[in-house]
Amino acid sequence: MKYLTIDTTTKVTAVALAEDGRLIAEGFLHTAKTHSERLVPMLEQLLTASDWTLQELNMIGVVRGPGSFTGIRIGIATAQGLAQVLKLPMIGVVSLDALAWAGLGRTEDIVPILDARKNEWYTARYHWMQGEEKVDCLTPPQALSTDRCLEYLKDLERPICFVGDAVTKAKGRILEVLGENAVILPDYVSLPRGAYTVRAVWQRWQELSIGEQVRPYYIRFSEAEVNWAKKEEARRKQEEGYKGHE
Amino acid sequence: MGGIRLGCECEVTDRQKDQVIILGIETSCDETSAAILVNGTDLCSHVISSQIMTHQKYGGVVPEIASREHSLHFQPVVQQALDEAKVGFHDLSAIAVTYGPGLVGSLLVGVSGAKAMAYAAGIPLIGINHLEGHIYANFLHNKDIEFPFLALLVSGGHTHLILFEAHGQYRVLGQTRDDAAGEALDKVARTLGLGYPGGPKIQKVAEEGNAQAFKFPRAMLEPTSLDFSFSGMKSAVLNTLNSANMRGETLSVPDLAASFQQAVVDVLVRKALMAIDQTGVKTLLLAGGVAANNLLRETLSKTLVERNIRLVSPPPLFCTDNGAMIAVAGYYHYLAKDYAPWTLNAVPGLGLV
Repeated sequence: MKYLTIDTTTKVTAVALAEDGRLIAEGFLHTAKTHSERLVPMLEQLLTASDWTLQELNMIGVVRGPGSFTGIRIGIATAQGLAQVLKLPMIGVVSLDALAWAGLGRTEDIVPILDARKNEWYTARYHWMQGEEKVDCLTPPQALSTDRCLEYLKDLERPICFVGDAVTKAKGRILEVLGENAVILPDYVSLPRGAYTVRAVWQRWQELSIGEQVRPYYIRFSEAEVNWAKKEEARRKQEEGYKGHE
Repeated sequence: MGGIRLGCECEVTDRQKDQVIILGIETSCDETSAAILVNGTDLCSHVISSQIMTHQKYGGVVPEIASREHSLHFQPVVQQALDEAKVGFHDLSAIAVTYGPGLVGSLLVGVSGAKAMAYAAGIPLIGINHLEGHIYANFLHNKDIEFPFLALLVSGGHTHLILFEAHGQYRVLGQTRDDAAGEALDKVARTLGLGYPGGPKIQKVAEEGNAQAFKFPRAMLEPTSLDFSFSGMKSAVLNTLNSANMRGETLSVPDLAASFQQAVVDVLVRKALMAIDQTGVKTLLLAGGVAANNLLRETLSKTLVERNIRLVSPPPLFCTDNGAMIAVAGYYHYLAKDYAPWTLNAVPGLGLV
């Protein structure tokens, strides 16, 4: 089964072509240009170089978040547009799950950290089962302040392997807090890659054996929704306060 | 999915070789819209999914929420437009999509989706300037419009006088230096407690008011300038209200609304006439959300008949954001083989040059 994967949830545009879980072609761009400018041209180049056509594809996989809100939507809109015309099933995977594949076979816990701005990371914790291509998710995906995340991991007192686009910037802090328990991989391993998405998508396809409706996975609400909820909460409390005085 | 079905005037049955079938897509602000247009005038389907209800509790359009809504509705809206027209992607000649101006996150959903569809279908992608789309809404029912013509584009974000020499050849003669006309109407409506969007609310209340009750200024700027300025006119209304409040007086909201609407329309009409005199054109096209305003339409219509100038304006439905107007503009770009590259990006601040 031939398929295409798309990941635009970070500043990396990652596109890959694969067959039955096996990587055939991979595109990786970490430049100043936008996903919108890079994505379809990159796909076209990979298809040409691989002697593949869009019509040969049997499925389309896309990373649905968490990550850049706009990036998530560009990836999904592109994957949906292709799938709608080619009448193909779609598979959606979580960015952090895909990044766990960067640490396949390692004995440490794998902790992907993605820049979520506002001093926060999108993060989760995984552990690869010995001798198997199966991963346990020990801590589910969430948006967490960088300090709280590092404190939490420190208290675990276990070796942790960090991957993801926030690693390079946070390297010093991580080593400072976790010391010898921290394992830092080079960026060419730990940045989002089509190769990882290819494996994550294949695993999900084998689990489902059917396409799915792919929806964005933001984790966070928009700021307007958060502020509105806060205002509502304050208003409710005030009302309750008045009732208390009656 | 709350897409409404609009204006089905035909159905694609026997596709002939000389048919040009355009899928038009619009996602620049808070409407997800798609339309199928045959040969520039036959609108086979037109779906608009509006987010007005979603944004109402925030008092205006929230960009991130708008983008999220587009992301959920984009695919079903396009599919509905295809299904209603009974066409598939393989029947299309090209896909036209708005790439600016507008909210960047919203634009990117449409641009990314449209690009992927065109690429997969092996057909041209056409990038449309949203402002040009508004003006081309006029060609939907009037294929016989003759060049050169003048366009008066009035909306919540724009107030432009544009001279069109030919398809795709245009020049901005004047534009607002501060608030757009629609923006000024929105702000005054909010101050008068009429709600959002302001234009239609002001029009409704003004029906019961006296347009001569208040003498608000008509900002004309330099004698030959075709630019606009609505900020000062808006402030005049606010000042009038404030000083009345300080004296403890209550002013008639219908009178205020009617007088302000009259002032805005007077300026728009006078500037349009100046532009007609300066250029010598015989046709004026009205476009944009404020083009739906009855007073503006009636005043222009009366004035232009006297001068033997043809006035063309879209039906109200085609004045607001919609996919049909993008398909119409796309049709003329298609005829000129003016296609977009696969690197097409959203340009939130796209202007008309």
